[in-house]
Amino acid sequence: MSDFNVLTRNVGKVNVIDVKGYLDAHTAPELENEFNKLIRGSKYNVVVNFNDLTYISSAGLGVFMAYVETMRENNGDIKFSNMKDDVFNIFDLLGFPVLYEFFKEEGEAIKKFNDLK
Amino acid sequence: MRDAQNISALGSLSTLVDFGRLINSNLNLDFALNNLLFTCLGKFHSTKGFIALFKNREYLEISSSKGISEKVVCSFPRVHADSVNENEELKTFLERNNFEIKQEIIYGHDIKGFIFLGKKLNKNEYTVQDKEFLKTLVNIGSSAIQNSLIIDELKDVNRNLDAKVNQLSSLFDLSKEFSGVLETQRIGKLLVFSIIGQLLVSKFGVVICREGGFEILESRIQDEILVDALKSSEIKIVQDFIDEETIKKKYKALYKIGIILIVPMKIKSEIKGLILLGSKNTKMSYTQSDIEFVSSLGSIAITSIENGRLFEEALEKKRLEKDLEIAQNIQRNLLPKKMPLLNNFEIAAYNNSARQVGGDYYDIVRLDKNRTLVAIADVSGKGVQAALLMANLQAFLKSICKQNIELHEASNLINDLVSENTTDGSFITFFWGILNDDTLEFQYVNMGHNPPLLVRKKEITKLKIGGMILGVMPTMIPYSSEKIELQSNDNLILFTDGITEAMNSKMEEYSDEKFESYVKKLGNLSAEKTIHSIIKEVEHFTEGVPQSDDITSLIIRVK
Repeated sequence: MSDFNVLTRNVGKVNVIDVKGYLDAHTAPELENEFNKLIRGSKYNVVVNFNDLTYISSAGLGVFMAYVETMRENNGDIKFSNMKDDVFNIFDLLGFPVLYEFFKEEGEAIKKFNDLK
Repeated sequence: MRDAQNISALGSLSTLVDFGRLINSNLNLDFALNNLLFTCLGKFHSTKGFIALFKNREYLEISSSKGISEKVVCSFPRVHADSVNENEELKTFLERNNFEIKQEIIYGHDIKGFIFLGKKLNKNEYTVQDKEFLKTLVNIGSSAIQNSLIIDELKDVNRNLDAKVNQLSSLFDLSKEFSGVLETQRIGKLLVFSIIGQLLVSKFGVVICREGGFEILESRIQDEILVDALKSSEIKIVQDFIDEETIKKKYKALYKIGIILIVPMKIKSEIKGLILLGSKNTKMSYTQSDIEFVSSLGSIAITSIENGRLFEEALEKKRLEKDLEIAQNIQRNLLPKKMPLLNNFEIAAYNNSARQVGGDYYDIVRLDKNRTLVAIADVSGKGVQAALLMANLQAFLKSICKQNIELHEASNLINDLVSENTTDGSFITFFWGILNDDTLEFQYVNMGHNPPLLVRKKEITKLKIGGMILGVMPTMIPYSSEKIELQSNDNLILFTDGITEAMNSKMEEYSDEKFESYVKKLGNLSAEKTIHSIIKEVEHFTEGVPQSDDITSLIIRVK
């Protein structure tokens, strides 16, 4: 029904999740599954690429809140990149920039992970 | 001298023009305040200054400062709009930090705040001209300050509006999702996602109140710890929510595990669950709007959970009904489908269960060319339990019919068999007999059943011979049988107590007496018509009160 797609790729030690379309209460569980898979595989360095995301609701934002602690407890993180202005506005409005790192380009986020190691 | 004054005046004028142009070129508050301060410091050769504006028209707050340390800024006293001139703390602050000049910033009739300037670097006093000039500068600057203040306010309003729109769209998003029927677990998860995504919380618990206890739906606190804390807290919700102060005071166990906000989940003002939240990760406090958001989400979620539960129940009931329907079909198939055609007897039967499945049973089995077995039974209890025992009895009866043994011996045997299968005091009232189509003899055994009525010329004989009720205990005393000779136009009426105990709206029973006097009056009707008349009579008596017991009857008419 809803047009949402999520795909994970490996870029070195970093896992990039591409999210596409509408991320709302209906589609949030799909993203949740993706995070569960990563945790099962002990993959904690995550960059979420928002290039093709058109809409995000609180339920979608909640998924990031629900998993960020696990990632950080395992010396990883969830970083955001390639966000369109209107999507960023929602994150900004709710105060996410205090708690998460946002990057213009996916490469910068990946580099931040790699520089740490 | 005059030239010098002119040059000075010209300098002042060009400063004013420059300042006026610059300060109005931008609608940023910091930019306006910075410019005003720098212009003053430059013009009066002062080393420090600050501007304090009224926040919400109440208290002064330093909005911009130059040449003073953070520490000094922090030590600025709390000055109320009503008492700026008399405030001793402010006087002390100004004296201690060597601020000599205080100038109001007025826009229209409103005092927006003050600009304070330190001593001149050359220790000279501020002249009257200086003060006049400062007044002019501030006058020019005040409109820019006012404009930027309004812009800031608008920005705030806009942001709040955006936040509200965002909350509403989240609510809409969830109600859309919850409008379908979902599993409770998924509802819990989406509820939590939406709350933590909207409010940036990482510590939470969602519990459902059920039968005086708490059932954890979702939580980021160890289950046992949360349950213990809840149990020891005996939460009483008076308002729409419980705030941090109250939790700190009254529910220490919850406060200890980091809960600072409790919002109930209500359906029509009845509390069905609780949403417990820790502090926001952004360290901001919960606003009224946040609480309303959580409360609305909670209501949507709990309604959806409740609907899901009701739907499950309805589904389960449907499933059971379906099962019963199948059982009903099976049971109907256990009863004879058509009446045998005999030379001297005409048989008609009626059976109607009060529930989907019943405990009444009748059968007609052709034993050989001349002999036909008729049976009627009423299993104690109702519904499924009775139906199962009835099916059991039917199976025994069918197999015993194949055995070709005497009726009283068959009675001993069937009682032994049924007794093995009855539990909890269940039993069966049973009557069976064999019609002989050749000799018109009828041999029967009555095992505790309502005595069938033999109606002959408007006289009734009750068929009582037999023995103990079926299925109570194995056969100790053998059953006796009786053989009677039937005559033409005899009516043999077998029935269950559903007929004689049928009740009307006054809670009166139809009774044996009424039944007997009724059948005595029945004329020489066919078996089929007799049974119809009897059922009609019972229905007439009950006046539409729903039947509470199964009704079965078998009519055997001697041609």
